[in-house]
Amino acid sequence: MISDQELVIRVTGSNDQVAFQQLVERHQAAIRGFLRRLAAGDDGTADDLAQETFLMAYRKLHTFKSTGSLLSWLHTIAYRQFLQHTRKHARQKVMAEPPEQGHDPRQSMDSEILAQRLMGFVSPEERACLTLAYSAGMSHPEIGEVTGFPLGTVKSHIQRGKQKLQRWLKDHDHSISREKEAHSA
Amino acid sequence: MPETPLDHELEQLLAYRNEPESSDFVASVMQDVRKEQRTRKVILWAFGLVGALFGLAGAAMLSDPITRLFTFTFSLPPTETAQVALMIVAAAAFYTWFMNDELSVGS
Repeated sequence: MISDQELVIRVTGSNDQVAFQQLVERHQAAIRGFLRRLAAGDDGTADDLAQETFLMAYRKLHTFKSTGSLLSWLHTIAYRQFLQHTRKHARQKVMAEPPEQGHDPRQSMDSEILAQRLMGFVSPEERACLTLAYSAGMSHPEIGEVTGFPLGTVKSHIQRGKQKLQRWLKDHDHSISREKEAHSA
Repeated sequence: MPETPLDHELEQLLAYRNEPESSDFVASVMQDVRKEQRTRKVILWAFGLVGALFGLAGAAMLSDPITRLFTFTFSLPPTETAQVALMIVAAAAFYTWFMNDELSVGS
């Protein structure tokens, strides 16, 4: 398989569109998945932002330093696109509705949709750090590079986000057990 | 990494699954790329044409002084010839710097 670096050289050197298409095919799932999590279930917006991300990458590919990972670089652009979008649409909240209370969404809802909706409980910064850590499997320094946060901030965002989600999972378990008790009585 | 059952549950919950794959998305991105390239070409051609027209007009207007300059350049004293050469080099350097429009997406 041709490496990312080689494809980048082909695109920047001879404007090889087939090479760029290969790059898009290779990384679209990761970038769209990341943006879907950031958009907390708003898949339409996430896909629009992913499209903008790849277009921006095409424009700026000559500035990509081959020493780093292309996927991290694409994540950086995607995160910036998302931040720009949230700033522009600060008044219209794009966050999806949180999962309904009273029944266990973990059983009735597709787990990917649940994961996206759970992201609505945490701030955009925590969302980005949690997704990059747990879903994209990046190390803390890598997350720092993508988001531009210092290492300590990355760790605290992950910790705080994790606590919020854990609290929701715990609370939800309690409400489920109470409901079960009520039904059995 | 999981420390508690809840930690473990969270890790499983946030893992990517059913990653979106679609050829429509790729086609749409490539369509945008081609559109952008066409726009770039049109802009380059339009501005190039305007530049060429102005260049031609300028050359026509300056043809006499230029002819005179070249006629007399080689009869100029060496210091003045050097000055003219320096001015041409400076103009070329400025043009190179001005046209270098690389923008970086630094982190």
